[in-house]
Amino acid sequence: MAEVFARMISLAMIAIFSQNAVFDRAFGVDVAIYASRKNHHIIGFTVATTVMTTLASAAAYPFDIMLLPTKYGYLFMPLIYVAIVSILYLIGLFVLWRAFPKVFYRVKQYAHLAVFNLAVFGALFLNYNFGKGFAGYVGYGFGTGIGFFLACFLLNIVHERFNSEKIPRMLRGYPITLIFIGIISLALNVLVGYMTEF
Amino acid sequence: MKNNNKSFSLDGLFRQNIVLVSGLVTAPIIIACTTLMHALVLSIGFFMISYLSILICRFIPSKIAYTFRIMLYALVAAALYIPTILFLNNIYPEAANQVMLYIELMAVNSLLFAKTESRFYLIPFGKMMIDVFVYIAGFAVVAFVVGFVRELLANGTLFGTEVCPAIMPAASSPFFGFILVGLLAALCRAVSERRKERKDG
Repeated sequence: MAEVFARMISLAMIAIFSQNAVFDRAFGVDVAIYASRKNHHIIGFTVATTVMTTLASAAAYPFDIMLLPTKYGYLFMPLIYVAIVSILYLIGLFVLWRAFPKVFYRVKQYAHLAVFNLAVFGALFLNYNFGKGFAGYVGYGFGTGIGFFLACFLLNIVHERFNSEKIPRMLRGYPITLIFIGIISLALNVLVGYMTEF
Repeated sequence: MKNNNKSFSLDGLFRQNIVLVSGLVTAPIIIACTTLMHALVLSIGFFMISYLSILICRFIPSKIAYTFRIMLYALVAAALYIPTILFLNNIYPEAANQVMLYIELMAVNSLLFAKTESRFYLIPFGKMMIDVFVYIAGFAVVAFVVGFVRELLANGTLFGTEVCPAIMPAASSPFFGFILVGLLAALCRAVSERRKERKDG
């Protein structure tokens, strides 16, 4: 039991720091930039993304085990992952609508952005390479969501400054944010000491 | 009127480029677009998945709730991934295998979710076909520029042919991708503003 838990934690750590969805693989950069604009968006986006990466990773595990070792199984994985995420998305919306109607009406306009983004699907596609076992899948999925939160939080801290008059007009906003993500990515690369193989 | 039509249809190439201006589809360019061959494979993959999905999804009735329409868009794109990857594996097996993750992820690209409802499906079908094509061409142009710079700096080659010594191996790393796309976005904005100022003044 302790071994399984340790495996979950170590894979979550890998997904948060050494293979951060945003800084290392650029998954969901557009959504992270959008979510980081407002403080209250960050919580909603990252909770939805983390719940989805964790649950979808768990749900995808049996399909990965069955299909990916076969010759043409990889062809159907995008379809299967979209179906899994869609079903979880509908269940999530239904639960919110029944249990927390106020929250439902507040988040329904952007819920799809938090769910149908590359951070969620990227975690599902990478699970087979890194997850290794059900606990690993759940740990990697959870870590991807937390890593996404970390990225949104860092982008939120600099958002106001990067959109201020202090930044030259041509770099203001999106361009300087990408350069900033690049510098954080460089720092993480140096820290981990490896190159991404996509 | 003629000018208006022209600038409208060329929006996606420069003024509303999906990589450099709106940042809707950045991941494949930043991470996977490290050579011109990758740029070619990603552009073909993006075209086959996004263009056909947007055309097919146009026929999904707007009476269906937005929540369900989004799922259908993603399902159509995921289904189109199958012929796309089979085709790419057939013509460029090595490059397709190297960037496969980012082709798989094109099934959920933001162009499909963000621009369809706000732009493409609000204009007539014929005009939409050109508009979507221009947006995808905008992606391809950036892919080739990024692929060119990174392949030259990191490997000293162009389409695998050696042209000079490799002066910056780190150019193929993700952080360089972010910085390069950030600088290109700034350049794109500067040129856009200069053009606008000239037009106004």
